[in-house]
Amino acid sequence: MNNKLVINFIPGKTTLHKMAGSTKVLLFVLFTIAIIATFDMRVLLPLMVVPFAAIVSMKPNYKPLIFLFAFMIVTVGIIGTVMLLVVSPDVGLTHVGSHTEILQVSDRLYVTSETLWYVLVTFTKRIASFATVIAFVLMTTPSEFASGLSFLRLPYKVCIIVSLAYRTIPDIARRFIDIRNSMQMRGVELNSKRTSLGKRLKYTGAMLVPLIISSFGKVETIANAMDLRGFGRLKKRTWYAEHELTRADRIARAFSAVFAAAILFYILYTKFLNPYPVTMWCPFVKLENITKVNVFDTLFFLKWFR
Amino acid sequence: MEETVIRFENFGFQYKVQQTPTLYDINLSIRKGEKVLILGSSGSGKSTLANCINGLIPFSNEGTITGSVTVNGLETRSVSIHELSKMVGTVLQDSDAQFVGLSVGEDIAFAMENEATPRSEMVPIVYRHASVVGMQDFIGAVPFDLSGGQKQKVAIAGVLGSDVSILIFDEPLASLDPQMGQTAVELIDNLSQNDEHTVIIIEHRLEDVLHRRVDRVILMSEGRIVSDSTPDELLQSTLLLDYGIREPLYITAMKYAGCSIPDNSNLCDIHCIEFSQDNRKKLIEFFSGNPSVSKASAGEEVIRFENVDFAYDEGVNVLNDVSFSIQKGERIAVIGKNGAGKSTAAKLICGIARPQKGSVHIGGTNAKQLSVKEIGEHVGYVMQNPNQMILKDTIKKEVEFALSIRGFGAEEIRRRATIALNACSLYSMRNWPVDTVSYGQKKRITVASILVLHPDVLILDEPSAGQDYKSYMEIMHFIEILNREYGITILFITHDMHLALENTDRAIVFADGRLIADDRVSSVLANDSVIQQANLKQTSLYTLALRLDLPPEQVIWRFIEHERAVKADE
Repeated sequence: MNNKLVINFIPGKTTLHKMAGSTKVLLFVLFTIAIIATFDMRVLLPLMVVPFAAIVSMKPNYKPLIFLFAFMIVTVGIIGTVMLLVVSPDVGLTHVGSHTEILQVSDRLYVTSETLWYVLVTFTKRIASFATVIAFVLMTTPSEFASGLSFLRLPYKVCIIVSLAYRTIPDIARRFIDIRNSMQMRGVELNSKRTSLGKRLKYTGAMLVPLIISSFGKVETIANAMDLRGFGRLKKRTWYAEHELTRADRIARAFSAVFAAAILFYILYTKFLNPYPVTMWCPFVKLENITKVNVFDTLFFLKWFR
Repeated sequence: MEETVIRFENFGFQYKVQQTPTLYDINLSIRKGEKVLILGSSGSGKSTLANCINGLIPFSNEGTITGSVTVNGLETRSVSIHELSKMVGTVLQDSDAQFVGLSVGEDIAFAMENEATPRSEMVPIVYRHASVVGMQDFIGAVPFDLSGGQKQKVAIAGVLGSDVSILIFDEPLASLDPQMGQTAVELIDNLSQNDEHTVIIIEHRLEDVLHRRVDRVILMSEGRIVSDSTPDELLQSTLLLDYGIREPLYITAMKYAGCSIPDNSNLCDIHCIEFSQDNRKKLIEFFSGNPSVSKASAGEEVIRFENVDFAYDEGVNVLNDVSFSIQKGERIAVIGKNGAGKSTAAKLICGIARPQKGSVHIGGTNAKQLSVKEIGEHVGYVMQNPNQMILKDTIKKEVEFALSIRGFGAEEIRRRATIALNACSLYSMRNWPVDTVSYGQKKRITVASILVLHPDVLILDEPSAGQDYKSYMEIMHFIEILNREYGITILFITHDMHLALENTDRAIVFADGRLIADDRVSSVLANDSVIQQANLKQTSLYTLALRLDLPPEQVIWRFIEHERAVKADE
């Protein structure tokens, strides 16, 4: 099961793997907040290094990871940038505060260095948060995830759903394959070369009927099994998967406290104490040259409504 | 010792959704430390009775209770299911679905987690309970890597909470292969050796449970207790036949030999049964007769494997150099424990899997040239669970499905469906919605839905799983008719030795991806080394032969011969 998907069911051997679920969830939440909070490349880049270093330290199976990152780069990076340049070529003016054309194709299609900077920053943000998710998924087993969520004061009945879902997904997948095999033997052609997409969709839909019916039976058994072992009696619950804190946990917890304070200070400082006139800092735009523009002014199609 | 822990008094129960009560007039008391078997066919109310003890009734399944049931002196409906769960541990039938944790340790700890036990206390208890069931080396294992038997062991460890004194096993053998079943019965027996533990087993497989002694057998039928006796008394009576329970094979054998059953003591254990002089003579005489020579099958070949190798993952062969051939009209048992390669062989026949080396021939053609759909016209595969096959809402539509997607004309579809429905005795119910029929009928529907394609070969995956003796007999009778009247070749994929013994002529045995035996059923079942290698369980006929100092093969063959003669007369 392990490593065929990115999800781990068995805890790994590295320091990060061995940390408690609560620490992992805590770090994940803090890093996500930090990445959302900043548009400053000088802060983003160091933040991005951490999840990548974490991924490398876990010695993962790189094959599926490379695929996932390539997918992100193509969709968010390339396709996203082209779409942005078509729809809103002057978005850099709003967020960076200046307009330096470097390439003019037509009246409405041009490239400014500020827009490119804007694209670079947002892309970095997305890759950083994506890497954080991947690092978290790689280091956390579903049970640790459930116990970690419970540490964040989520009701335990919600947390257990996470673990139950992971428990049943592989079984459902296996049952689906069995059902598909039996349908093929009865003559349903699912080969993409011989059958049209519409027909294949229709047959796949038909397969859901036995899948759902046989799964419902399981749900009842699971509910009974949980009732019979006293689930839901008390207001709180402990977690077998939430083991004692390791040294790495204690270091990470201490770091988290400092990090959380730093994030809070950073947000307060950049939003209230010393706000920057536009969204993002840019190395080639001087503070005194910044022009503040209304967001809607850079969306060209809005001009048509004026 | 005499302390009563469970007492039913004039107890009755009716499910909210049902028209009539499921249990009537139950009067039963179970003493501390007893080991009780509750026996009955499907629908006899035996599981309902157990659920009244553990609190699923009335707390999870609503209904009306009359009379009284007390556990450790407490009226169950006045406490809660959680209160009861501290006294009563229940192991459910489906060993997979009740595994709620994502690792062995977590699942064993589940009840303690719900009690908010600190983890530092949980860890040693989990280890202790895992050791009781022999799973201490698998605490970190995930459910996807465990066998059914291992999951069940975990389930047992999971209910051994500190205060649990009553253990209920609801059909513990249903999803296990014979070897694992035997281990489970032994494990349950070890638990019952502890005087504090009262053990209640719900089963319909009497012979398997009697592998270890039980103190008392409660026989149930249609919601009532019809007998409450020791196993010996029960075996001496005719109640088993009256209420559709399979009697132990050796008892049947003794009856065939004309023995008088009540003359023997220790009836419930073939190893220490004491035959009377007269009975012993009769048995030896009966089994010494020379079996007649069976006709050699000479039909045309329908399936041939030639040196087939197969692997799901590179380098790990699931099948190694397998060769065999099957003739038209044969009835064959493909046996072996789970994971031995028997299901893979079936997949290769159906074309779902393709051999890496060697070849599979279907009706004389190399299967390489045939698509799964084309093979489906020669070979029909009936899955173990009919609910996983049924797609349409009425019986008729379901049966016609395979023809309609192949584009047959309406007239032809009607003609073929009528024949198939008649063959499966479903014609009169053809317009019924599928979800109103019983499990056994659903199984017949799935067979009919494949028969319309006029296959030469029918593969049935574990046809006896999940059914009581009565519906099992019905299905087997029906399969036999298909074989006899329509000349369809039947392959049973099974680990049920009784099924192989009673319904097949030849057995193909797999162990660890190799074909280790391909011979007459009687000689395979008499071959101890094959049975051991395949991790199967000997039938009690084998032990009977040893007790009588007769060659096992001869005893088994005589038994089969006699039984088929008896059946043919009926």
